[in-house]
Amino acid sequence: MTILSSKLARTGIVYGFTVIALLPIGATVLLSLRPRPGTDAIGLGFSNFVHVFRETLVADWLINSLLVSLFTVVAAIIVAAPAGYVISRGRNKLVQGYSLLLFVVQSLPIITAVIPLFMLFARLGLADHLGALVIIYVAGSLSVATWMMAAYFDTIPAALEEAAWIDGCSVFGGFMRIVLRNSLPGVLSTAIFTFLLSWNDYLVAIVFLKTDTGFTLPIGLQSFFQQTSTDWGAVMAVSVVTMLPPVIIFSFLNRYFSVGGIGGSLAGQ
Amino acid sequence: MTSHADQPNVARTLTGQSGGEIPRDDWSAGRGRLFLLLVAPSVLLLVLLNAYPVFYAALQSVRNGTLISPGEFVGLSNFAKVLQSPDFWHSVRFTAIFTVSGVAGSWLIGMALALLLRAGVYGGGTVKVLLLLPWVVPIVVSSMAWNWLVATPDSPMPTLARMLGFETPLFLADPLLAAITVCVFKVWCSFPFMMLIMSAALSGIDRSVYEAASIDGATGWQRLRYITLPLTARTTYISWILMTIFCVNDFPTIYLLTAGGPIDATTSLIVLAYRLVFQNFQTGPGVAIALMMTAAMVVVSLILFRQIRKSGGPA
Repeated sequence: MTILSSKLARTGIVYGFTVIALLPIGATVLLSLRPRPGTDAIGLGFSNFVHVFRETLVADWLINSLLVSLFTVVAAIIVAAPAGYVISRGRNKLVQGYSLLLFVVQSLPIITAVIPLFMLFARLGLADHLGALVIIYVAGSLSVATWMMAAYFDTIPAALEEAAWIDGCSVFGGFMRIVLRNSLPGVLSTAIFTFLLSWNDYLVAIVFLKTDTGFTLPIGLQSFFQQTSTDWGAVMAVSVVTMLPPVIIFSFLNRYFSVGGIGGSLAGQ
Repeated sequence: MTSHADQPNVARTLTGQSGGEIPRDDWSAGRGRLFLLLVAPSVLLLVLLNAYPVFYAALQSVRNGTLISPGEFVGLSNFAKVLQSPDFWHSVRFTAIFTVSGVAGSWLIGMALALLLRAGVYGGGTVKVLLLLPWVVPIVVSSMAWNWLVATPDSPMPTLARMLGFETPLFLADPLLAAITVCVFKVWCSFPFMMLIMSAALSGIDRSVYEAASIDGATGWQRLRYITLPLTARTTYISWILMTIFCVNDFPTIYLLTAGGPIDATTSLIVLAYRLVFQNFQTGPGVAIALMMTAAMVVVSLILFRQIRKSGGPA
């Protein structure tokens, strides 16, 4: 324990661990930037990226992933914000029960829902469709998104709304103009959580998607890896394309990044 | 003690201990109708996409259908078949090992990092953000990187082991090594989450408590043992339950690295259910496993809810 009382020693330990922990990610970036075999280029460059955008469907997969995540985020906020408002402001036994139900649903193995939903969607001919993914991601992030919104609404004093009602504002108007408008950080946190959930999902996509032009990035990357497992430069280039959006969002917005909606809020109790 | 009253607090919201100051049961005519309207889409989604699938799964579990044919009613024979199969029990065992090592490993590393960062590290803020990366990077990408590191005899890790004088380890081809690799991979993915939760818990302990203990002559070890651990016990417990849920429900971490192999050494319950349904076309047994997992997870989540309710109250 005495060694740990020196700040320099602690820094050394933490930095050492960080370097080791980030090796896999660093290797991914480095391999993607190495020149392609067969060229006589030296140093680092983007030849792998040029190659994968020319030779594979990575551009399609990127667009699919962006579309799915965008629609998921917007739909999740549209569903979760009003529900969060009711949980925050209209609390009674029934609402409490609903809150608990959301909580239990959150922990269910997703496979339990995926198997029947796949059967149903397949029967309707909608299985191999990005829209199916959006619907399931919205349902899958519903619980956490709703509490995140409700927790944020709880911090907005109700007196603000009451003042607006006295001025002739409707209850719905109060929700939209007072509560929601003052909750942008909460909306942003919820959007980030939903984005990561839909962007990173593998299980739902692997079950539902069959046509390679309709893949999202994770499934595309996986299928590409299975076909060309020795072309590491190309595989890592697709990997970097896959991880860039979440990493960029995270680096700029990590202030709004809360642990799955639960963690940070348990602080200090 | 800093009050968190102005911070959003999911725990308190979830358990009804905080809320807008509007009179609680004010469901008077106009507002009640609006509330119902606002919550309707959420209820509809929950019923259609969560409750109905579970009900449908229950129907499938007592039939011998496949993905495309509904099959016939076979009573509880799917459950009997599953409970009698050695593969199932093997998966239960691996799921337990995967979960316990995932929870213990990620908590120990996460807690150690949280303590070091709390005690003070040069450039701590930046390092903390960097350390969260394994959790932010999509699992498919990390699995590629890990594959590159260990998969073949010529990969970096086996080469390193050879240089150190060991026999070339086959990280993904040897049953025991593959199981260890998958568990280590899970810890690598999960420690940032634990670090965040435990950092938040540690930041809630007032530094004056430590100062008082130091004046009384407490050693560093005693401070950890008698102050830090007891004061963060509830958060620790909640983080363990949460991570248990994450590990039991985790599909991609295992499937992407080993697909459950070699010779089923890393087949967890969820991988087994996936295989039965989508590769062997035995919907009944696969769904039966998913339902048993669901029942177990409902129990775990209710325990978690009670713990959060206790911790969400006035500290």
